[in-house]
Amino acid sequence: MINAVLVFNNNGQPRLTKFYTQLDTSVQQRLISEIFTLVSARPASSCNFLPLPPLLASSSSSSTSNEHNDAPSLVTYGHYATLYFILISTSTESPLALLDFIRVFVEALDKLFENVCELDLIFNFETLHAVLGEMIVGGVVVETSLDKIVEGVRAQGRVMKRPVNESRPGLAQGIWAGR
Amino acid sequence: MFEKDIYQLIRGLRAHKGNEREYIQDSLKECRKEIRGADMDQKATALLKLVYLEMFGHDMSWASFNVLEVMSSPKYLQKRVGYLAAVQSFRSDTEVLMLAGNLLKKDLNSPDKIIMALPLITIPHVINASMANSLLGDLVIRLSHSNPAIRKKTIVTLYRLALVYPETLRPAWPKIKERLQDENEDPSVTAAIVNVICELGWRRPQDFLPLAPRLFELLTSNTNNWMAIKIIKLFSTLLPLEPRLAKKLLPPLTNIIKTTPAMSLLYECVNGMIQGGMLDAVEGTTEGDEIARLCVSKLRAMLVVEGDPNLRYVALLAFARITTSHADLVSEHRDVILECIDDPDISIRIRALDLVVGMVDANSLQTVVERLLRQLRTSGRATAADEPSNDRGTHDGIVPRADDDDEALTTIHPREAKSTQPPPLPDDYRTGVIERILSMCSKDTYANMTDFEWYVTVLVELVKQCPAVSAADVSGGAAKSRPSAADAIGDELVNVAVRVKAVRPEAASAAQSLLVLESREHLFPASAGGGHGVLGSSAFVAGEFAGLLPSPEAVLTSLIHPSNAQLPAAVLLSYLQAIPKLFSQLTGNQQGLWNQSHASHCTLVIARIVHFLEPLAIHPNLEVQERAVEFLDLMRLTSEAVSSQPLDDEDNATPRLLSQAIPSLFSGVELNPVAPSALLKVQPPEGLDLDAPINANLNMILQQADLDSEYVETDNEVYKFYHEKPSAVAFDPHRPAAELLDPAGTGSSRSSSYQDAEADSNPESLERKKLMRRERNKDDPYYIDPDRASNSSTPLHNILRSNNGDALDVDSIPVMELNMDASNGHNVPAPPTSDRKPVRKAQRRFEVAADETLGGDNDAPSAFQLTSAASAARGKRSLLEVDSSGLASLSLDDAAAATRSSALEFERRRLEEEEMAKAMKEVERLRLEMQRAQEGIQFGEAPEGGTMVVRKKKKKKARVEGDAEEAANGGDGGEEVGVVKKKKKKKKMAVEDDGQEQQPEEDALVAKGKRKKKRQVVFDENTAAD
Repeated sequence: MINAVLVFNNNGQPRLTKFYTQLDTSVQQRLISEIFTLVSARPASSCNFLPLPPLLASSSSSSTSNEHNDAPSLVTYGHYATLYFILISTSTESPLALLDFIRVFVEALDKLFENVCELDLIFNFETLHAVLGEMIVGGVVVETSLDKIVEGVRAQGRVMKRPVNESRPGLAQGIWAGR
Repeated sequence: MFEKDIYQLIRGLRAHKGNEREYIQDSLKECRKEIRGADMDQKATALLKLVYLEMFGHDMSWASFNVLEVMSSPKYLQKRVGYLAAVQSFRSDTEVLMLAGNLLKKDLNSPDKIIMALPLITIPHVINASMANSLLGDLVIRLSHSNPAIRKKTIVTLYRLALVYPETLRPAWPKIKERLQDENEDPSVTAAIVNVICELGWRRPQDFLPLAPRLFELLTSNTNNWMAIKIIKLFSTLLPLEPRLAKKLLPPLTNIIKTTPAMSLLYECVNGMIQGGMLDAVEGTTEGDEIARLCVSKLRAMLVVEGDPNLRYVALLAFARITTSHADLVSEHRDVILECIDDPDISIRIRALDLVVGMVDANSLQTVVERLLRQLRTSGRATAADEPSNDRGTHDGIVPRADDDDEALTTIHPREAKSTQPPPLPDDYRTGVIERILSMCSKDTYANMTDFEWYVTVLVELVKQCPAVSAADVSGGAAKSRPSAADAIGDELVNVAVRVKAVRPEAASAAQSLLVLESREHLFPASAGGGHGVLGSSAFVAGEFAGLLPSPEAVLTSLIHPSNAQLPAAVLLSYLQAIPKLFSQLTGNQQGLWNQSHASHCTLVIARIVHFLEPLAIHPNLEVQERAVEFLDLMRLTSEAVSSQPLDDEDNATPRLLSQAIPSLFSGVELNPVAPSALLKVQPPEGLDLDAPINANLNMILQQADLDSEYVETDNEVYKFYHEKPSAVAFDPHRPAAELLDPAGTGSSRSSSYQDAEADSNPESLERKKLMRRERNKDDPYYIDPDRASNSSTPLHNILRSNNGDALDVDSIPVMELNMDASNGHNVPAPPTSDRKPVRKAQRRFEVAADETLGGDNDAPSAFQLTSAASAARGKRSLLEVDSSGLASLSLDDAAAATRSSALEFERRRLEEEEMAKAMKEVERLRLEMQRAQEGIQFGEAPEGGTMVVRKKKKKKARVEGDAEEAANGGDGGEEVGVVKKKKKKKKMAVEDDGQEQQPEEDALVAKGKRKKKRQVVFDENTAAD
């Protein structure tokens, strides 16, 4: 199953955090920064699988004898423009399929926002959660078809673009008010 | 003043470059105010802002009640915010969770499917065992909802329910199975079911064998690659159970491998076939050979394919999985795998390294190690900026920063961004490589090692490559938890020197080169003293084999250099021990006569050593201090001996202290390697159970000892130990020992009628009284001595067991006599014994001494190890892990379930009862509290007492049936057994019996039964659905 989904940008600023296990906020932050440290050091030519971050590695190394277990063993990531998309999962997931999954996630966002960029996700993080909610429930993937995901999110209400003029902060502040 | 909405918050954050922290604190303050207001819109907005800030690490657990308020809003948009907040912020200790049950139930039954979906995706995040029970009914009926999106989410939610409360799967499973078998079911629902079954599958594969035909059908008529991958994964766990599956699966899988355009599916096919043991199953047949060749050739192709490191990585993963079962298949591809250890990508290198460690043999060892060494030598070190400790995130936590707009505006094309330039090797990779080189070389007691001289040079070379140790580790000194790479190298050096006699001169000169100060700069370029861990071991080797050192004088000079006082205590200890050894080597073995030059030489050396040792006599580390003081005195003695020895006399030889006494301190028995497990392999004598009372007849013996009046009680402790009876009752370990030792302290468990209060404070008078009483009654066979009774309790046995029980137990067991003589003539299991047992491992001239062990033939771990391993496995749990072990004991096979009854089940049930009881109390407390505090807020129409009412209802029903069952069973086994058995036969009982266990709380709450009727309807509905 999938244990966590994280999205952060090139500076390690989180844009989406979703943990399918209850975890203290401070531990979540530590995990995010550990993974960011790992992922930001990787050159582009390397593969999309990370070694386990120290927080996770300590406990799982002991149980490698068993083929399957509940411990997360795979950290998969995708780097799209300014954003990193991270999936932490157990051995029941297929590594290559997870890469496809991240791709579908990004494509769904692109379709909903039309040429999605980081700003869209910053301002509409609720929509980001909604998309993920259509794809994963409780750590189990429920949908991988792009059309159905988009349809499911749209059924929940209109998806907004980022506020206009947002690209020039300062100017826009007085003009753009309300939702 | 207008409140900020979420956009304004984000925009404000972006505008406040540099002082984001302040801005956030202000915003949090505002949110606190806003969320307490009466306006629901404002509440929801504030909550959304909190959720946003929570992402950056600002705890919002304090707002959990407000989350609940917003969740219960009638407006969808607000509700959605509330549910999102619940997912992101509720933890298992969130108190309001108990109150959420009714709300979740209500929204699950909403006519609007959009609203219904909210609790469905939220429940997995907030569920606990008691909620699972009450929500089960509402969820199961959603499996037949008209909307496929609802159905698929329900299925997954039910799976998460089963994780916290396995019994809930029993009523849900037939429904899920029905969905799976339905040909007309929506494909995404089927895919979701397959996903869930794949998660369940590896825990209890046997339960899912009956589904194989349907899964096979789905696989062959496949349209969805994701689902196909999951089915194949599931089949690979089913294959070992059903050999016939292999034949059946072969054609479709071969077909997929040959035709599919999806690399992920192809990979999982190959992986699944290998992992499921399919290659074994069809071995021998022509098609079997063909498929094996096909699989491995595909994997090989993945390794050599250009430009896709992901494929290389997963291919190595697959190789690693089969390397234990099909080592031959893997080693055929050694050439390409070896290529991967030089891959630019470190993830791939690590995977390849793991494989290579298992693949090297005597021929390839040197090549591989040289290759790795070259890698370490040539690649740069990670700069300080790359170190994790210097990362901003680790220091300050993540602070939202004003973003660079140009960057944030970059469109995220669904194509990955790539940049170039290879990173320097990170330290943990270096450490990993060094550790693996060491483990490759020392594998099976140097089975593959042909040239130990080369190995020693490799070790010295590795010291140079050691990553720097962080300051924390250095200052940690002896308390260092994890041995560094340098420590491991040092251990190897000692190991080789001790085991391989022929290479000792080389080892000694290597030790010298490491120790001599002049080469220090050259050998340890890493600033923070990365290689210093090796110094202690080098000092040991130099001291132990001082006779083989090329230049003992130089080594001694380096050892007593004043700068060494700054070394970590552990290293210093080895130094201190090595110094007198070297001293005795330098001065003791002079064959010549005792003359002036000799004497002055000795005096000089002694003076230098004393000069070094003196400051260490006040070293903060006690052991360093002790050794320094000891050797200091020895040196002073020697100094006296030297100066008192007459010089002119022709007959005078070297002072005896120098020539004999000191050397004999350090020579004598030769060092031999002892297996770390040797002590553990001392077989416990048959029937020995260290947890059991020392002697079952202890009472009898003590009784006799009692009667022997020559037992004089001079020592109270001893007296008590032998005269108090053992206890099987667990005792509170936190109570002070003194209190426990006082027999009166246990008054509750024994009759205290004969012990008056004064005795409490005066153990001596108590003992006296006891003795008098015993004396009086010793001839009376009918006198019931409370101390002799077998089933009342005293704490003493427990104290002894917990505090010093091991020592006592071990002392009382004649371990040595039992096993030694039988096995192989060793009298002592531990260190230096003179008779060694050399085993020829290396073919050439090197003789490697094997570990000394007991009954060396069997590798079976002793009983002690087994238990400790088991407990360790239980104790460890990964951070993100969702524990599904509860499912392992849940059988979905009805026939088996009816007869099965395990102790584990009882234990779990008991824990659940406790938890439930605690939770119910908590709910009641909270409810009252909130009723008082928040008059205005109620949960829709559902009254607060709703949950309890349901329980009440259930309880009654369960009771009736439980009684009936008991009557039918002829009342065997008591009520509790009856309940459990019943549960297995009738699924709906699973829901009910909790109610029965809640009796005490419910009795107190009977008065709240106002909404019985409505709940009753719901309940019946779900039992009918079952």
